[in-house]
Amino acid sequence: MKTVQIETMHAGVQKIAMDHLAGAYKDMPDVIMLDTVGIVNLVDAGLLLDMTEYWEPIAHEFVEGAVADATINGRVWALPDAVRPQLLFYNAEIFEKYDIDPAMMSTFDGYLEAGRLLKERSNGEVYLSYIDTGTYTWRYWGRRGLMPQAHARIWDDDGNVVIGSDHGTKLALGFLEKLYNEGLLYRTTMFSPPMYEAIDEGKIATFYIGAFWDEFMRKNLTKTVGQWRVMNAPVFEEIGTGGAPVSTFFCFVNKGDTAYLDLMVDMWYDFQTNTEERNAWVAEMERVNGPYSNPVALKVLEHPFWQEPSEFYGGQSFRKAEADGLANPSPNLMVTPQDNEADGIISAEIEKWVAGEQTMDQAIANMQRELELRIGRAYVIK
Amino acid sequence: MKPMWKALKRHRYAYLFISPYLILFLVFQLVPTVSTIYYSFTEWNGLRPPRWIGWRNYQLMFRDYMFRDAVRNTFLYWIVGTIGIMTLAMGIALALNTKKLRLKHFFKTATFLPYVCASVAMGLIFRMLFEEHVGLVNEIIALFGGERVPWLASSKYAWFPVVTLFIWRLTPWFTMIILSGLLNISEEYYEAALVDGASTWQRFVHITLPLLGNILFFCFITITVDAWRIFNESYVLSGPGTSNTSLFELMYRSAFTNFRLGYGSALGVVLVVILLALSLIQFVVRRRTGEI
Repeated sequence: MKTVQIETMHAGVQKIAMDHLAGAYKDMPDVIMLDTVGIVNLVDAGLLLDMTEYWEPIAHEFVEGAVADATINGRVWALPDAVRPQLLFYNAEIFEKYDIDPAMMSTFDGYLEAGRLLKERSNGEVYLSYIDTGTYTWRYWGRRGLMPQAHARIWDDDGNVVIGSDHGTKLALGFLEKLYNEGLLYRTTMFSPPMYEAIDEGKIATFYIGAFWDEFMRKNLTKTVGQWRVMNAPVFEEIGTGGAPVSTFFCFVNKGDTAYLDLMVDMWYDFQTNTEERNAWVAEMERVNGPYSNPVALKVLEHPFWQEPSEFYGGQSFRKAEADGLANPSPNLMVTPQDNEADGIISAEIEKWVAGEQTMDQAIANMQRELELRIGRAYVIK
Repeated sequence: MKPMWKALKRHRYAYLFISPYLILFLVFQLVPTVSTIYYSFTEWNGLRPPRWIGWRNYQLMFRDYMFRDAVRNTFLYWIVGTIGIMTLAMGIALALNTKKLRLKHFFKTATFLPYVCASVAMGLIFRMLFEEHVGLVNEIIALFGGERVPWLASSKYAWFPVVTLFIWRLTPWFTMIILSGLLNISEEYYEAALVDGASTWQRFVHITLPLLGNILFFCFITITVDAWRIFNESYVLSGPGTSNTSLFELMYRSAFTNFRLGYGSALGVVLVVILLALSLIQFVVRRRTGEI
């Protein structure tokens, strides 16, 4: 353990794969932060340490389901870092100006109706939300948003491609199509200055997205500070479950040398359960507009600090809203080692749809065909 | 003793001196190239051992629309890029070579600047220039009463920013190469032609172009290679799906995003074959026309 390297999750997996390939086991990191796709890939290759023995005695100290997405074959392959919900961020001033009750957005039908009202009453100046021209539409609207909430499937339990005939997929992507076709989504590039400019100009009224979006709002918006509020993600009335959480995990790399394992595990435990230090760290991150997430340790969550109002959200407590957003979660899509590639294939079809080059029905049919052609059958790790 | 060993022994010092390059070439180029050919016949994610699957990667490639898109796009970048770079580089080099031009050193430096800028950084700036709602390009179009173009949000237009950046970035380098060629052409040819009453165009066509033949051929080959391995430009300025993806980018994405190293290797092999074929055609044409 010589240096700390900060990379994207994908770059981390890539580094481990390349080091493993070159036999450079000592160059592998000791610890890597991963989501479910990364865990599935590395467990499949035998590159993560089994943490079940460590986790089981302390599991009761953490929120329910904290390691659900890191459990494969009944074994726990990582320790939880964050479980973040899908939320609905909305600009309260816009809703007040056009006399629309945000509470109507508790269902997707109401969300659509709110968009129509905004468009009508602002003479087309205000859009309900955004749509990205690249890969983020699939990632945030699809994989992490509407698809799990519609209980949609890419694969069946045996790994066969079913996205083309899946009712949930049609419900999820059909809803997105409705929003876009009715001109309720502002076409832009996610995380770009023009997008933040449009938000600050009051052109975009809501964001149906993961809690991580809080960090980007705080860091990049200047004119709409104090106007934003947060509520639980809308639900499909016929399904009834809320937004699916996105989990990230501390994973310990199986590199043959476990000299630092105990130290790392102690550091993880301290970071998760030391209420005073954790709260001080979060306060500092909030001050510098840095990223943080709600803790997964029950003891820390009970502290009043996690109910405190947030200036950016006009006095509403974002931390409490994040905790509330975890209620009634939808199950995430099943993840296989082929999902990286599947995401690329599906996103390409969505991007062509956003560009107006095909209908959503054609896009879904093409997803089915291309997934069958290029992947065939996914390898399901149960 | 066999003739090969005899030759090796006789020239042992020469071989000794070139051995550092040969060893590096062997380890870092030849072995990986041969390995790539082997891996192109396997299914391999880099984490588990490769599995031999015969021609399946190549069969998939020819049914894969992403591969067809990538070849079409790269071919377009090659043709448009070559014409654009050669024309602009020649024009700028001729302008820099005129006797009447003042502040030559300043203009030479200014011309070369785009080449030293990092292509990814320039890509991000071009992304903002071609942004649909607030990009400078669309602002200018709107100023003249035109409609805003969804440059990077439409398959129809997404190639344009990529090729523009490619031309903008490489033109300076080739300008310098052509300029060095122009400086090597003796003034006497032009003076003699002037005495014979040749026009500017005639002097350009009958003196400048033939005497720049080898330089232009070098530029053509180099641009061809650069165009077929274009990566940063299309990676940063990505359009819908694979609408402006280059072959090199597709190879990278297949191998290192999707971890399909076997399929990525097959794409690499095809890229090498295309480049070899293009170079061969160019050499054959040049030899037949007596230019080599």
